[in-house]
Amino acid sequence: MASRQARFNQQVLIDTTPLPDDIPKVKEIGASSAPLMSASFFIGARCRPYNDDYMKCKDEANGRGELDCLREGRKVTRCAASVISDVNKHCLVEFRKHWECLENQNQQLWQCRKWERPLNKCVFDNLNLEKTIPGTPEGEQPVHLRAKQIYANPFMAGFSRGS
Amino acid sequence: MGVPFEALIPYAIMLGMFGVTGGALSKLRHMQNGGKRGRHSVDQWDRVLMERDKRLTGFLRGQSDRAEAPDGFELNNPWKVEKRFM
Repeated sequence: MASRQARFNQQVLIDTTPLPDDIPKVKEIGASSAPLMSASFFIGARCRPYNDDYMKCKDEANGRGELDCLREGRKVTRCAASVISDVNKHCLVEFRKHWECLENQNQQLWQCRKWERPLNKCVFDNLNLEKTIPGTPEGEQPVHLRAKQIYANPFMAGFSRGS
Repeated sequence: MGVPFEALIPYAIMLGMFGVTGGALSKLRHMQNGGKRGRHSVDQWDRVLMERDKRLTGFLRGQSDRAEAPDGFELNNPWKVEKRFM
């Protein structure tokens, strides 16, 4: 009789209508929060032009960015997916070690430097992507390369002091 | 004469019961977090990401490192609406 399904929830509306066919399809990123956090600096290293492009487009779209910047958005998604799949292909062991550590340490990067270093090395050797933290002051050692940590939890496994 | 051990039995019971409740709560939290340590200082961004994890994996603390989302993921994104709009 009724052509639409009954809806019982008053606050959450899930609309399963797909996008119209004139919008090209792109697969969403399948990585969840901790792997994304772990790969974030490599995504930034490879996709910076696309991301900047998208942000500039949204900035100039006067609030219509969600509609007008779909093309740039697809590029951002594709680029990030390519980084994730490359990291999975070449550095899966180091990647998993790192994001599992992150997931156990409230996703705090400084608690997991011990597993971040082999991951950074592997990604740099295989994919030529280097982790650089934007906005690091000139002539100062970036925080992820410092040998001594003050605030990391000394009882957690991710800790390595003075190595 | 030695210490009367009967006097210490209530203390043993009290300590033991504190241990039972603490252990049970810790086990409960462990199960709720899927065998991982709990999140703390969770802000709005973390909450949104955890909801996305739930949509991806079916569990609030579930994780996956696939490059492409499973089919239908792009369609199960809920709109948060108010009652007056429904």
